[in-house]
Amino acid sequence: MKRLVILAAAGALIVTACGSGGTDSPLIIYSGRSEELVQPLIDHFTESTDIDVEVRYAGSTDLAATLLQEGDSTDADVFFAQDPASLGSVASLLARLPQSVLDAVDPKFADRNGQWVGTSGRVRTFVYNTDTSLELPQTIDDVTDPRWFGEVGVAPTNGSFLAFVSAMILERGEDATLRWLQSLAANDPQDYPKNSPIVLATDSGEIDGGLVNHYYLLRLRAEGEGNNSENWFIPAGDVGTLVMPAGAGILSGTDMPEAARQFVEFLLSEEAQTYFAAETFEFPLIPGVQPAEGLPALEDLSTPDIDLSELADVLDDATRLVSEAGLV
Amino acid sequence: MTAGPLTTPVEVRPSPGRPKKSSRGWWTATAIVLLPALIPPISLGWQVLTKGTGTMLPLGRLLELFASTVGLTLAVTITALSIGTATAWLTNRTDIPARAVWMILAALPLVIPSYMAALTIIGATGPNGLISSWLGFTIPTPYGFVGAWLALSIFLAPMTHLIVSPALRLIDPATEEAATSLGAGQRRAFFTVTLPQLRPALVSAGLMVGLYTVSDFGAVSLLRFDTFTRAIFTLYEGQIDRRPAAALSLVLIILALAILFIERRSRSRAGYAMTRARRARRPVEMHGWPKGLSMAFLFAFAFVSLVVPISVLVFWLIRGLSAGAELGVFWDETLRSLGVSLAAAGLAALASLPVAMVTTWKRNKLSGAVESATWAIYSLPHITVGIAVVVFALTWARPLYQTVFLLVLTYVAMFMAQSVSTVQDSLRRVSPVLEDASRGLGRGPLQTLARVTVPLASPGLAAGAALVFLSVMKELPATLLLRPNGFETLAIRIWSATGEGFYTMASVASLALLTVSILPLLALTYRDLSD
Repeated sequence: MKRLVILAAAGALIVTACGSGGTDSPLIIYSGRSEELVQPLIDHFTESTDIDVEVRYAGSTDLAATLLQEGDSTDADVFFAQDPASLGSVASLLARLPQSVLDAVDPKFADRNGQWVGTSGRVRTFVYNTDTSLELPQTIDDVTDPRWFGEVGVAPTNGSFLAFVSAMILERGEDATLRWLQSLAANDPQDYPKNSPIVLATDSGEIDGGLVNHYYLLRLRAEGEGNNSENWFIPAGDVGTLVMPAGAGILSGTDMPEAARQFVEFLLSEEAQTYFAAETFEFPLIPGVQPAEGLPALEDLSTPDIDLSELADVLDDATRLVSEAGLV
Repeated sequence: MTAGPLTTPVEVRPSPGRPKKSSRGWWTATAIVLLPALIPPISLGWQVLTKGTGTMLPLGRLLELFASTVGLTLAVTITALSIGTATAWLTNRTDIPARAVWMILAALPLVIPSYMAALTIIGATGPNGLISSWLGFTIPTPYGFVGAWLALSIFLAPMTHLIVSPALRLIDPATEEAATSLGAGQRRAFFTVTLPQLRPALVSAGLMVGLYTVSDFGAVSLLRFDTFTRAIFTLYEGQIDRRPAAALSLVLIILALAILFIERRSRSRAGYAMTRARRARRPVEMHGWPKGLSMAFLFAFAFVSLVVPISVLVFWLIRGLSAGAELGVFWDETLRSLGVSLAAAGLAALASLPVAMVTTWKRNKLSGAVESATWAIYSLPHITVGIAVVVFALTWARPLYQTVFLLVLTYVAMFMAQSVSTVQDSLRRVSPVLEDASRGLGRGPLQTLARVTVPLASPGLAAGAALVFLSVMKELPATLLLRPNGFETLAIRIWSATGEGFYTMASVASLALLTVSILPLLALTYRDLSD
């Protein structure tokens, strides 16, 4: 029994020793972007500003729901999310950002009310195996064409797919979106939990193509694979080539408004934007920083005209439609 | 560890002479350590009553999920019990070569979490898979039911192996010898004499495997098979409205309680008494084709459950390194995983002592209820426990929200049942005569506890702590929800790196998790070897 007490105490000691080594009140960031992607950047922020940061990593939607559940009692200072829908759904908890911050990017990549700002561009794309004999989709509707029967990978529960469906609701309305989802479901799509396994499956020839975000293929190449596939940006200017900026907002209840603002400004600095381009293969959103090699310029893509601030209002509808269509 | 929660593998000992007075303290302690078991039903019930359910899934979909969950659970339970019983019998009762090595190898896959199992199955199969490249032709990736069934069966078989092994050794050899001397063949003796005596151990192994399958979300998510738990996780992750996930969790809690209730009502109270004097048993001699077949089976099992996953991880590591991927060593994550696992293991074992004592002393309605409460919380999917504890902390215990303390407390509540069952097993072997003698010689109840009961229960306490340690190391969904800000563990790093496609990082974190887990597992099997 004595040994058990020692065991428990040893555990407690280890936990306190490595739990939070920093100061009493670090800047708390809720990050819907993964640790693998953004921790190096955050470390660099701490080095250059001496502001200690503590991050909670989880899914963007998950964190948005958590913020709503915590309400005013939340400890978070900054919400750094993967998509505009998550940011928009916690609008009631966000403060308005300074105009100088908002002006750094094209207004279409910031919130209408100035409560969040886009920090890097993620673009929906159709990844395909270069050996495919199938004709590539010219519009998002071609993806549900019978020629792609059983050959398209989707991640129907994944946040970026739901954001894409939300955008379609804004573009076409609920009924038309449900019809599109139903014809996709009727075309025997292969479902995956996330984007990266779709890209893996496409690259290995298990499927011919899939609806994903553009950077997963580039990441796979950085791991030494992914040489059998390419990204295809659907040229019709529909939601098939939707730009979903990752973005950040500051909680209105923050006790460190100054540090929080510095962090958001840092994300829009040339240094951070170059990092996004080179390390996470996303599109930089400030002028003068180029995207990674092999990617077209953001302006050259045919993207849909959608008010990203409205995405949040239809996100739960998107989830419902995906389930109604029988995709999950 | 042996046997089970709900079983009395050896004889049920009445203890008429046990003093009443000392037991009141133990009942109080039991009540206190079981208090957290009330949190999930109360928090979720409160949430659903005051906030509603939101848009629930349609009834047809619920029934579909129910059917797929029950189907998978039955298939996995039967398969894991068969494989685990086979490995246990071969390594405990026969003269196969290198028996001790096989005994450890058969238990070893227990350190592999289900999400890692699923991940490595995906990495091994398919056109670019490791096995496909070894064989030169493509084995398709078994998505859906088959994949989930394989992954869970293979990696839950060791749990059966660990529970059945000690039970096999406890069977009185006289009964089998009697059967064979009366003309029954080896096989007939096994099915008519050995197997019925294993029933209690098999029931508890089946319960552990079955409940694990119901609550698993890693393997079914990665291998794309829809169950209740996956549906809850999908709702929780993908929707801003948290009410449907909470409402569905409540449905699942009621379902789990119903299963436990039925199980308790229907279980047999028959026990098998063993003559105290144990004699050395001659192992079953294996010759010819049965021996060949058995060895082939063991090799195949070790290949699928150990060689393949570890090869895939090492393959990813080498591939990533040669492509120039940066290698992070997860010291902080490893220490955090180790810290919470140690703390939870120690506390769970301590907390299990009073529970095990009151339930072993007396078998009545109250002790039955206590046992049910312990198993009730163990049977809940961790995602539902996580959701409930978040509601609880935000509503009634804000200062505890996102603290290591609450995280460890939740682990203790979730996994205490494992330790309760091993401690019960040890206590059942303690003759009441020893405790009575101690009291008779003038020792007080506390001194008797410290000098007699605890030392005799210590193998069970150690085994319980080791099991809880392994469970906490692997735990993912509750950790995702309850960890403090910035408190990343190995399990969380594996999960997030996998999701983002960073397989090199996932392999490093996985190998770290396996390394840390091996020591307590070896301690568990060492006990079996020396028994």
